[in-house]
Amino acid sequence: MESLVYIALFAPLLGSLIAAAFGTTPKTLFTGIVTSSLLAVSMFASMILLAMAVSGAYIHVELMEWIGAGDLYIPFGFVVDEVSATMMVVVTIVSTMVHIYSIGYMEHDIGFNRFFSYLSAFVFSMLVLVMSDNFAGLFIGWEGVGLCSWLLVGFWYHKKDVTRDVNPSISPSWAANEAFIMNRIADLGMLIGLFLIYWFTGSLQYSEVFAAIGDVDMTIVYWIGIFLFIGAMGKSAQFPLHTWLADAMEGPTPVSALIHAATMVTAGVYLVIRANPIYDVVPDVGYFIACLGAFVAMFAATMALVNRDMKRIIAYSTLSQLGYMFVAAGLGAYWIALFHLATHAFFKALLFLGAGNVMHAMDDELDIKKMGALYRVMKPTAIFMILASVALAGIYPFAGFFSKDKILEVAFNEQTYILWFVLWVTAGLTAFYSFRLIMYVFFGKDRHTEWGAHPHEMPNFVLWAMSPLALLAVIAGWFEGWFHGYATNLLPDYAFSDATHHMVAMLIAVTTAVALGGIIYAIVRYRGNGPKKPTNVNSPVYKLLINQYYIPVIYENVVTKPYAKLSSMAWSIDMKVVDATVDFIANSIYGAGSTARGLQTGNLSKMLRLMAAGVAALLVAAVVYGTLR
Amino acid sequence: MLEPINVSLESLNLGTLTPMLIAICGALAILIIDLIKKDLDKSLYVMLGILILAVDLGSVLGQQVNVRGFFDVMLMDGIAIVSQVIILVGSIIFLPLALGKKRFHEYKYPEYFAMFLFMVAGLQFMVATDNLILIFVGLETASLALYTLIALHNRERSFEAAIKYFTMGALAAAFYALGSAILYALTGSVEIGQIAQALGDRNFEPIVLILAAAIFMIGALGFKLSMVPFHTWTPDVYEGSSAPLAGYMSIMPKVAGFVVAIRLFEFMIQSGIWWVHDTLMVIAVLTMVLANITALVQNDVKRMLAFSSISHAGFLMLAIVIGTTKANSALFLYFALFMFTNMGAFTMLWISRHKSNKFHNRYDHPFEKFAGMIRIQPVGAVIMALFMLSLAGIPPFSLFWGKIYVISAAVDSHYITLAIIMALNSAIAAYYYLKLIVYMFLKDPAQNDGTAYVKNASKSLQTVIGICAFVTLASIMFVGPILDTITYMMQVSGF
Repeated sequence: MESLVYIALFAPLLGSLIAAAFGTTPKTLFTGIVTSSLLAVSMFASMILLAMAVSGAYIHVELMEWIGAGDLYIPFGFVVDEVSATMMVVVTIVSTMVHIYSIGYMEHDIGFNRFFSYLSAFVFSMLVLVMSDNFAGLFIGWEGVGLCSWLLVGFWYHKKDVTRDVNPSISPSWAANEAFIMNRIADLGMLIGLFLIYWFTGSLQYSEVFAAIGDVDMTIVYWIGIFLFIGAMGKSAQFPLHTWLADAMEGPTPVSALIHAATMVTAGVYLVIRANPIYDVVPDVGYFIACLGAFVAMFAATMALVNRDMKRIIAYSTLSQLGYMFVAAGLGAYWIALFHLATHAFFKALLFLGAGNVMHAMDDELDIKKMGALYRVMKPTAIFMILASVALAGIYPFAGFFSKDKILEVAFNEQTYILWFVLWVTAGLTAFYSFRLIMYVFFGKDRHTEWGAHPHEMPNFVLWAMSPLALLAVIAGWFEGWFHGYATNLLPDYAFSDATHHMVAMLIAVTTAVALGGIIYAIVRYRGNGPKKPTNVNSPVYKLLINQYYIPVIYENVVTKPYAKLSSMAWSIDMKVVDATVDFIANSIYGAGSTARGLQTGNLSKMLRLMAAGVAALLVAAVVYGTLR
Repeated sequence: MLEPINVSLESLNLGTLTPMLIAICGALAILIIDLIKKDLDKSLYVMLGILILAVDLGSVLGQQVNVRGFFDVMLMDGIAIVSQVIILVGSIIFLPLALGKKRFHEYKYPEYFAMFLFMVAGLQFMVATDNLILIFVGLETASLALYTLIALHNRERSFEAAIKYFTMGALAAAFYALGSAILYALTGSVEIGQIAQALGDRNFEPIVLILAAAIFMIGALGFKLSMVPFHTWTPDVYEGSSAPLAGYMSIMPKVAGFVVAIRLFEFMIQSGIWWVHDTLMVIAVLTMVLANITALVQNDVKRMLAFSSISHAGFLMLAIVIGTTKANSALFLYFALFMFTNMGAFTMLWISRHKSNKFHNRYDHPFEKFAGMIRIQPVGAVIMALFMLSLAGIPPFSLFWGKIYVISAAVDSHYITLAIIMALNSAIAAYYYLKLIVYMFLKDPAQNDGTAYVKNASKSLQTVIGICAFVTLASIMFVGPILDTITYMMQVSGF
């Protein structure tokens, strides 16, 4: 039992270390194979653990004592229960497929070994995050995935910075730093939340915290809920800390698939799900989370409508789907949030990997308006991406339908009709922009031959690596009933009112209608030679959307630049006051050193004299002491 | 008519002598092998030496704790065992350094290795007894062998170093003899335990004579431990010796010296002779400060390390001044960790040793030589930086633990001022250690090919560096158990 937990957890770390040992050497294929196989091992171990969690056996292990200081006792403890087993299986399945995929995708990259080392390290951190049985361990994993994300987004750090009009993300290293710094802001909130938890409950163990949370003052619980959610906002890129996610697309595409779609960005949702006893006490905070989620869902979807960059479109759709998850979690339907998290991981990873295939075929071109008619040459990729898009749009019987419709039902059931309406509109937008992308890339007029692209399909093993995800994107939703029973063993059940029950068929019909409408409109609009009446690129709305509501520019002018000014002011104060003081001390000591060096003449007679003089002086001192005593 | 003297073999307890006998017999064996067949490769002697030292180490580990032997002259208490283990492990690390790529004069002679083993035996005698005469014999055996080892490096500066060391050593030996003579005159014994007893019985009178004895002893041991003002030989001798020998000298003879100092001074301090306590404290602080600020202005890495090792010794002298079990345990823990880090640093210099001085007309390892090393030899630069950070006491590298235990022992015994002085000195020391890092990481390279850094590199040297780096890095894992063992050993020997 225990060994399974350790195998699942440490196999990726082992892989990472092995790959790291070859980190500076040129590509060696076996690092890819070793890390992938070790991840497969971890995946099978996770599946067995899931099966055990299904049969109701919790596994709780303590690796070792980690911090034991006074009353504070934090062990390196890991727990495998319904939630963490689900997360483990999702994470390891997607990771394994992404690893195998990357062997093909990164084939010609000089940093091949380094890439696998980082990628496996990421999986390890993610597993620590989801498996930890206390908030401190969760935080370690939280920071670990942040670090790995930084390493991977900035993987091509050698690319130069460019202006925002050429590339909205400026450069990989800029994007990596942006992601990292933005997460620091959120992590500060999270840390405050953890301090509050420890201060008022005296523990960081989940079980003890949740048992004690009822006795804590309501105001404090409010603040705990808010601060923890601020942490979640950073990792899951919720407004206003969302800008980094689209920029993070500068990383290699497998990274986007694994980290910025399927796993790391869902950590915020996981946190809210895990901390459900806290949010149950303060439903108002939950309601706020739901509202923000709905806002982000729509906000991100609108930006995806006009974007021409394939990966950014998918990134915005991720953002939008995270919004859906937060709506569910905020309204107390934790198991539904977790369910959408899982299905989304499968189809979104698939979509990203498909985008990777297209990029590979198009020589890293990302502008969808320079593609078209790729269906002829990339049939399997096209089918995979269409499957994923249908699932994302939420068409029966694909995975997205089951989880997304449930969220809409929850919003309806809570009588938060505005939320429901927002999500309903967003469902239509989602369907539209997904198929806009599909149409531009795979159908319509061939626009790539003119600039000299030679599209070709990926090797077969890469496509095979994607096929399990494709299968899951189709069938994952069918397990809804089973998952409901299973997840609610730990998470609170969510009860629909009778009124909603009567309305369910109606709701499904309405939602499906809007999604189908979006799809059909996209197909009609972009088939053949493209839209009859092209979008007016000078309209204020278009400008607003393509510039991401000008938020990055606002951040730069309101936050970054004044902060830089403040820093340079502080620097000059530092130079004149602090540095000058330190320099003075250092110079005096250094001067003393030059003087002391005079002792060291290297002259033997002087040295002997000094020795004898030392003893003589001590003798005199002793005699004086002896007589005075 | 003299009575025949009967001594039973059991009462001799010859087991206590085995470790030293192994080293001595090994040395003799090396000499005999050389007599039988000339011109054998040095690697044979290196391996033989390691084997002998390993067996020696085994016999030390097999010793019973707190046993006397050989007419009660030998004393195998915990402190003797711990210090011998440190000395032997350090010696085992030292020997493979002879297997560099370049040929150096001294390794051509099998006598070098024999002499080395004699020195080890001498150091072992020094720590495994509380008899002043045997200490003297051990001290001189080790020192005479060491002088020769230095001179065998066969450069002008080596001869100069050997002569200086020898001459000053002779003066120190005179101090030692005088000190012992006074103690014998006062108490009629040469065993430290009995001396302490007898002095206590006569209520430490006449104090002036006792103090005189203590002062001569301070002079003698201060020379060995390079305390100010008896330290002047250190930089010159280190500069003249080969880098491995300099690294070795900065630790193993000092371990032995500290054991003697603990045996000799702690009973005085504990029986309330405050003068000794205060004098030692002043000397230790002076040593630390003076060596630190002199190290600041050195232009040569080896000389910098020499001064820094003086300051480390001063730091450790304070452990003796504090004199609690915790302080003494911390002292040996410090040495155990210091050994690996310092040997690693000196080996890094040894690897980059070249025959001609192309960077400086006097020094082998001026700072300029390491400028920009990170771009030419990134791995080497990182490892060197690791050793420097450890020496500076940056957590979590090994020496941090040594420092923190010594300082916490000081705080526990209410020596708050001392603790602050120690911390301040560590801060000054960080400056010159970081200076090398700055040169390596931030300056432009002084040369374009990396060969200067690996002139003398070979697999065995790299292995030694690997081991040292590993211990420096991973020390956090085993500091606890080592400290527990050392503390136990200290407690059973009553220190």
